[in-house]
Amino acid sequence: MSEFLLAWLTVLPSYAAPLLLAGLGLVLSERAGVLNLAPEGMMAVGAMTGALTVLGGHDPWTGVLAGVAAGTALSLGFGLAVVVFRAEQTLAGLATVALGLGITGVIGRAHVQKPFEGLARLSETGWGADLPRLIGQQTLLIPVALVLLVAVWWVLFRTAAGLRLRAVGEDPAAADVAGANVQAIQLAAVLGSGALCGLAGAYLSVASAHVWVEGMVAGRGWVVVALVIFARWRPAGVLWGALLFGGTEALTLRLQAVGVDFPVYLGAMLPYALTLVVLTIASLRRGASSGEPSALGFIYLRQDKH
Amino acid sequence: MLDTALLIRRQDVPVWLSVATYAGGLIFGLCAAALCLVQLGVPANALWQEFVVQTFLTQQGLGQTLTAAIPLVLVSLGAALSMRVRFWNIGIEGQLWLGAMAATWISLHDFGPGPLRLWLMMAAALVAGALWMALPLALKLLWNVSEVISTLLMGSIAFLWVQHLLFGAWRDAATGFPTSTTLDPVERLPLLGWDQLHAGLWIALAAVVVCALLTGVTRLGFYARAVGANRRAALASGLPVLLTVCVFVLGSGALCGLAGAVIVSGTEFRLTQSIGAGYLFSGIVVAYLARSNPLGVLVVAFVLGGIYTAGNVLKVFYGVSEAVVLLAQGIVLMSVLCAQLFGDYRIVTRRRA
Amino acid sequence: MTAGADAPTPVARPGPHEGTGRAPALLLRGIDKAFDGKPALTDAGFRLEWGEVHALVGENGAGKSTIMNIAAAVYAADAGEVVVDGRDVPLKNPADAIAAGIGMVHQHFRLVGRFSVAENVALSLGGAGRKCSVAEAARLVREKAAEIGFRLDPAARIETLSVAEQQRAEILKVLLLGAGILVLDEPTAVLTEDEAQALLSLVKGLAGQGHAVVLITHKLREVAGYCDRITVMRQGRTVLAEAPIASVTMEEVARHAVGETSPAPVRSAAESAGAEVLALKGLSIARAGGGLAVDGLSLSLRAGEILGIAGVGGNGQSELVACLNGLLSVAGGHLDINGVDMTRASIAARRAAGLRVIPADRFDSAMARGLTLAENLAMTEVPTGAYGGAFRLRRGAMRKAAEQAIADREIRGGGPATQAALLSGGNAQKLLLARELAGGARVIVAHSPSRGLDMRAARAVHVALVEAVAQGAACLLVSEELEEVIALSHRITVMNRGALSAPLNAAEATPARLGELMVGHA
Repeated sequence: MSEFLLAWLTVLPSYAAPLLLAGLGLVLSERAGVLNLAPEGMMAVGAMTGALTVLGGHDPWTGVLAGVAAGTALSLGFGLAVVVFRAEQTLAGLATVALGLGITGVIGRAHVQKPFEGLARLSETGWGADLPRLIGQQTLLIPVALVLLVAVWWVLFRTAAGLRLRAVGEDPAAADVAGANVQAIQLAAVLGSGALCGLAGAYLSVASAHVWVEGMVAGRGWVVVALVIFARWRPAGVLWGALLFGGTEALTLRLQAVGVDFPVYLGAMLPYALTLVVLTIASLRRGASSGEPSALGFIYLRQDKH
Repeated sequence: MLDTALLIRRQDVPVWLSVATYAGGLIFGLCAAALCLVQLGVPANALWQEFVVQTFLTQQGLGQTLTAAIPLVLVSLGAALSMRVRFWNIGIEGQLWLGAMAATWISLHDFGPGPLRLWLMMAAALVAGALWMALPLALKLLWNVSEVISTLLMGSIAFLWVQHLLFGAWRDAATGFPTSTTLDPVERLPLLGWDQLHAGLWIALAAVVVCALLTGVTRLGFYARAVGANRRAALASGLPVLLTVCVFVLGSGALCGLAGAVIVSGTEFRLTQSIGAGYLFSGIVVAYLARSNPLGVLVVAFVLGGIYTAGNVLKVFYGVSEAVVLLAQGIVLMSVLCAQLFGDYRIVTRRRA
Repeated sequence: MTAGADAPTPVARPGPHEGTGRAPALLLRGIDKAFDGKPALTDAGFRLEWGEVHALVGENGAGKSTIMNIAAAVYAADAGEVVVDGRDVPLKNPADAIAAGIGMVHQHFRLVGRFSVAENVALSLGGAGRKCSVAEAARLVREKAAEIGFRLDPAARIETLSVAEQQRAEILKVLLLGAGILVLDEPTAVLTEDEAQALLSLVKGLAGQGHAVVLITHKLREVAGYCDRITVMRQGRTVLAEAPIASVTMEEVARHAVGETSPAPVRSAAESAGAEVLALKGLSIARAGGGLAVDGLSLSLRAGEILGIAGVGGNGQSELVACLNGLLSVAGGHLDINGVDMTRASIAARRAAGLRVIPADRFDSAMARGLTLAENLAMTEVPTGAYGGAFRLRRGAMRKAAEQAIADREIRGGGPATQAALLSGGNAQKLLLARELAGGARVIVAHSPSRGLDMRAARAVHVALVEAVAQGAACLLVSEELEEVIALSHRITVMNRGALSAPLNAAEATPARLGELMVGHA
């Protein structure tokens, strides 16, 4: 039993990390008032670009950075649409997912199922050989994800820039009068979400699967959208949510691996069903405690006559 | 850079401007999509041939286009109905899966006498699609739970359910593939003798007529217009807002479910894991481009059916992934969304006083 | 870009406008501004000296707020120049205005509700290029509050504060930003008498220290004692500029503000009350954020009378109107219409019993901007079958009815197929009246029916209400405009903290007496 538990805990981080990273990205974007349904697409381009970069002969870290860049690039399209062109955010987010999945389908089709040497586990590095299995089996991206978690929290709640970002998401008119550049902040937040979603995608291919498969994000982007609501738009909540959601996924797969006759697909429904429950509870305690940024999805225009 | 131009919301959008921004966005998007294809190795001079001649002007192409358009019309009508009452149905694929499962279930258990079987499958799909929508609708009405997320989640759950069945109880024992067993001939929509075109065409056209009448000439359609324009005012005016929202939203789910049954019994003749893929985007793109107008849906879905057909051709002859169809939809939707700016706002370059 | 440090600092001066040769604090010249083609300002001007309190007066829609929003760089002028302390400053963003030393306290406060006072101040200071931690901002707030005699907890969340406290927070914020020029938009509208006096004294004191202050108001009476000079605007133009307050009479100001052809107010005929048509018995309504917005309220309304409910906004009026309409549910008590208990009746049932509601914001809960005039007019009658059966809507009948109503009510600016969004405020209100006062109206609930309308349109609204009542309807007039309530009502009661005072007869209801009731001293 303890062997099973250890095995589960060992794989848990690699299931939780992509959700954590993308969730943090979404917190940035939505705290700035931009409803972002695009992570599925941004993660997909991140995953594919990371894989293709490594397949092209670059080292895995370059692949990770390329994934980040790709996610950011796609989010630039989304950001320009919603911030500069004031496009409807729900539809623009869906269009961005279509773009991301379309691009990865068109470009990545030729490179599916080609395994490559991904990011090394800590135990495979020279200095990490003696680490306990629980830690040794992780890649360096796990601590990086935790650092990013703290960084996002710190920026949001401990810096002037974060104060401004949150103000834009709460009340863009007040933030504007306070001298914040609403559009620039929202664009920056969207780009940040793209970078983190790209990183999450690159994690899937370069750090975890070591291969590119079409549809490898497999709905995780949608899970992340729900996860952020579950987390009440708080970075720490994203961590707990990612552990819960990732943990459930890892658990069902572990149970299947050890031969327990377990309905995998029904098990995989659990996180979605759970989110639905949490979403309902969050809606029941509307107002401040749901944590939803007051101006989420709102298109601000200074020249509007109020 | 961001404040060199001022945006001023227009109170009064002239008709020519709405048409111009829409057409401009559409043309820009189509050109951008065409440019992508050329980049992917499709010769520019082949585009006309592949996208117009081979899809709309040859008998075989037109047949394929019409066949592809049938489920598109149904899901897009579904998307349009919910958009009319400002309810986001992001779970189109979920309802489609439920409809497909319901139809397959009827077929697997051979419910009802043979001649009625097909009707039962369609009816079951309508009910299943509507039921799958009922939970998000109830959550929205009771506790104001965001339907964007709840329908999305229900979509994912539906797909997992399909997989659970296809990898389990419904797996085709003969082949071992994760698909259901093929339908009996009596459970298939009759072919119309023109390529693969089947009687689903009449179902789709009937759905268009029903939706057009519903939105255009019934009281309920008027209520929906009021709810879409200002829900609170509709409520304060004593309109049956709850009834209207329920009818349109459940109708949306039912039509998407029907699309699932039509795919199963019209073209695939079995339930597979891939029949629902892509219909979420397509439904929303078509409904948005058609401005939720049922007759507009018919036109746009027909055109998109052509693009689907062309996508299959490109895959075979030029080795371009059919994901290009999704990419093209993304580009066109984004382009039209952004073009909306020029209709909604007046852009004034800032003068120095 | 002007840095925060270059902002003009107020200097202590012997007295207001005693020509020391210093440039005016704020000078706006030849300002034009149109909103989507509709002119809001035409060649408007304004001049503010250091050390003065300057009243900017005019009717609703005269352009007072608009011109000051241009000074605060919230709006961009189409033409004209803005000179701050003798320098032509490029005002592109609100940040530029802050840097130039202009601080505007908007009518709707620009504070982030979920932030604390200190966080809001830190946000604004940061926006002005002055790095400041939240803790430091809290210290600044405490110091400044002590200096000018405010009591305010820097850690309190804005949304938990009363309106008066929020206003204090806003003023503190603006002062901490180093604003030498203070613009207050309708600052007394939301305050009780005492609070208003305290605020005006503070403002006077600030001017004494050398600040320049603009008070935007349409209630000159309230502020006259605290002002040095006055500027009057009408229909987007400056019609009386920089008149010393002592040199003008209230009547002159009123004439400038409303123009030469100020129509006489409408008066109701003497009361001839009939049967009771609306009775509220101990009605309670929950507030959105918890607690009760309306607490055990009772009233009786008879056919043929107008019962006025005066009071400062936010004392439960909106909730009461929404509850009567049927949009909010009742937490306790009863509501009878024509002697029938309608406490839990549907909106449709209430309408069928003759209840009609004219809400304060007509495009929020009465009409839809995106629908045509014909559709808006027909909206309430479609469910009754007046425009055809369930499966056959008669659009032609809708159009004909609309044409009739447009002619009868003199609605200008569009035909039956025009979108309601295109109507001016006055015509949109006429459209709503045409719908709500047509056939079968027995109980009319009108909430601030003339808000935002010019004199003529307001008069048309009043005439329509008085006529409807003369024909046997009853009217509950809920309004913050005391003059409107006094002019129209047969009986007047005051709403304060969710409860009503005992009704006064029109003869006893003087502004002074009602004012006391509003503040809650009686």
